[in-house]
Amino acid sequence: MIGRTPLAMLGLALALMGCHLRAADADEPRYSAAALYNLGNSYARAGKPGLAVLNYERASLLAPNDPDIAANLRFVRASSHLPSESTGRFTRAVTVANPTVVSWLGVAGLAVLGASVLLGIVSSRRRWMRHAVTVLGFTLIGFTVCNAVILWPTLHAAVVVTGATPVRVSPVPMGDPLFTLPEAETVKIAAEHEDFVLIRTAAGKTGWVSRANIVPVVPSESLP
Amino acid sequence: MRPDFLRGGLLALMVYLFAAAPAIAIASLINATLQPSQIAMGESAELTITSSGSSMQPVTLPEVAGLEFRVIGQSHRIDIINGATLVTTALIVRVTPRAVGIFTIPGITPKSEPLVLRVNPDGSRNSSVLGNLSSGTPSTGARADGIRMTADGSAFVRLILPKREVYVGESIPVDIEVGMRDGFVSSLNGLPTLTGADFTLNNLSRQPERVPKVIDGKEFTLLTWHSLLAAVKPGKFSLSVESPLTVRIRTRPQRESLLEDALGDPFMQNFFGASVPKDITVASPPSDLTVLSLPAEGRPPDFSGAVGSFKIASDLSSAAAAAGDPLTLRMHVSGAGNFDRVDSTMLERLDTWKTYPPKSSFKPSDPVGYKGEKTFEQPLIASKPGVQTLPGMTFSYFDPATRRYETARSAPLAVTISPSLADTSSSAPSASVAAAAATGTGTPAAPPIGLRPDHLAATREAGQNSLSPLYLQPRFLALPSLLSLAFAGGWLGLRRRASDSNGSRSGRDRAVAQATHRAVMELQTAARAGNATRFFNAARTALLATVGAGLDAEGEEIRQLFALADEANYSGDQPTTTEFERWIEIVRQRLRNGKPS
Repeated sequence: MIGRTPLAMLGLALALMGCHLRAADADEPRYSAAALYNLGNSYARAGKPGLAVLNYERASLLAPNDPDIAANLRFVRASSHLPSESTGRFTRAVTVANPTVVSWLGVAGLAVLGASVLLGIVSSRRRWMRHAVTVLGFTLIGFTVCNAVILWPTLHAAVVVTGATPVRVSPVPMGDPLFTLPEAETVKIAAEHEDFVLIRTAAGKTGWVSRANIVPVVPSESLP
Repeated sequence: MRPDFLRGGLLALMVYLFAAAPAIAIASLINATLQPSQIAMGESAELTITSSGSSMQPVTLPEVAGLEFRVIGQSHRIDIINGATLVTTALIVRVTPRAVGIFTIPGITPKSEPLVLRVNPDGSRNSSVLGNLSSGTPSTGARADGIRMTADGSAFVRLILPKREVYVGESIPVDIEVGMRDGFVSSLNGLPTLTGADFTLNNLSRQPERVPKVIDGKEFTLLTWHSLLAAVKPGKFSLSVESPLTVRIRTRPQRESLLEDALGDPFMQNFFGASVPKDITVASPPSDLTVLSLPAEGRPPDFSGAVGSFKIASDLSSAAAAAGDPLTLRMHVSGAGNFDRVDSTMLERLDTWKTYPPKSSFKPSDPVGYKGEKTFEQPLIASKPGVQTLPGMTFSYFDPATRRYETARSAPLAVTISPSLADTSSSAPSASVAAAAATGTGTPAAPPIGLRPDHLAATREAGQNSLSPLYLQPRFLALPSLLSLAFAGGWLGLRRRASDSNGSRSGRDRAVAQATHRAVMELQTAARAGNATRFFNAARTALLATVGAGLDAEGEEIRQLFALADEANYSGDQPTTTEFERWIEIVRQRLRNGKPS
């Protein structure tokens, strides 16, 4: 009953996207959860907790449910006398799958929802089934959105990789220091100015830090 | 005998009268003098009224607008001349002006000449003024020690210069002393100031040093300010400083105040009303100063105007740093001179270094900032690793002692720059430690206690080329966007088809309504005319057009209607009005709903 033209367009779009994504994936992969985890372990053994935490954070982005990554992250933080971040049930539920899977689930939810809407227009039979499919579509899309919301702060976080990093009142090297950050502390990036980054600590304190002292969890060229 | 007696008595009276005549004439002599005849505002003159005679004649003080007359003393002198007693009385009156101008004091007696008192503005009194009154202009020359007292000896100001020849822009430390005689100076009304505009007085100490000092046997309080004097243009100048004071001036002639002065007690003067407060400005004796221009010959390009004697040194906040880490390069300029003109851009441009403008701070070692150390701090950031050398810095100044420009130099500084930690964040920390771990091959290193072991399946895991989630990558976002567009297009297409279907159905409904209307009108016309044949034919035609060829199986009424139509055609029976109404309603309902109500 559905017209053939929209289906043809949809099929063509999916085919093009498949080729597009396949070509994108053909680039040499730079990150894998296991490699990042191993790298974090190496830095931890080398006595560089900042870089260890950085790589653990990156690994946990790709494999959020890996218990080894979470354990070593907690261990290195505890070794650096830093508090470990506790995650709630909702956060754990939303990040149960890695973001790539969640992304495809979101697309699937969108497809199911769209098909349900179109079927509802052309036929009034099996209404309960259509309603169930609509709810499923909404659920999958909502799951993806929640995953993005939960991960958003981590995507804009940075890890202090040098000891006693001075946090200054202004983005200049001679700016008066406000306080110092311990190595391996994770901070939020609020703004950037030339060679300095405005950070916010978990305690709510803000100040400017030299780029040389912190490394973003997700490199800025990877962010939209 | 009686006439002789009378004649002799009359002669004796005449002799007496003749002898007494000068005395009577002297008694009527009144004289008035005014000293001085010219005073400055705030000072007083002395009017002396002298009366010679056997007794003091009553004198009425003159009244002059703007002048105040007050008797401050009286003296008597008795002379016996040729047996005659001559009494001379002097009445001393203080004349205090209330305004500037020329005042005419009328004669004490009608035959006396009027007196003229000229009152000048404050400070413009000429040298004829009495010296016992305090003034703002010293009446005596400077002494050998450079002190020049005010006329009444109550205060002095002295400027102490270390040298008499300076260069333009050069700062020289000077001392300004204000001596105030105890009890004679009520207050100091401001800081000392220069009299000319050719010099500037910088960093004048807010609180002067206060020491007691005895000068010529009299006690003074000596206030000393330290400051820096700088000339703004070349030439020969006469320099002086002045200070505003409030002093207590005597209102009596000095000879009458000798007792109080000897006692040295201002309370005594105040008790007897012998002094009044007065604001004056005390100036120092002029000091000659020659200001020379800085020579143009040999002036270095980086000369910033510093004049004095300086030396420099430099250091670095750290001898080793990572690329990207800020370092602080410091240059210390120490010595003596005009530090306000000591400036430097330090290292403006360097290869492989990012430089920032320096900022400076000055730490004086004396109260006026003539000596001290000025430190310049310049942030530097190395962009490349390796051992690098920062060049030595230079600082040019003019040395008044050698009378030529000098350039101070600092030694070069070496610094070791290591690779940035941030640059190494995506690579293994060291070959020995991380090579096997990062690749997942070989035996992983033994983890420390609490650290879980490495993952051996690292190479078999599918990697990603971005840490950003797929749903935030633009290439992936194109897929849900296209899906959304496709579904939106399909939705729109289906909605349009449904809309077209609904449109054709509504046209048929409009045609049926129009036919129903026409049929009902025809039926009503036939009913009004009582024409049964026409009525049932019209009803038959309308219903047949509506229901088509086939009659509704359930429409018993319709079949009855058609039977009545035929009966009306052929038998001529006439239904009643009620029946007509009933059949109209049945037909209407049938036409509208397809079945009777």
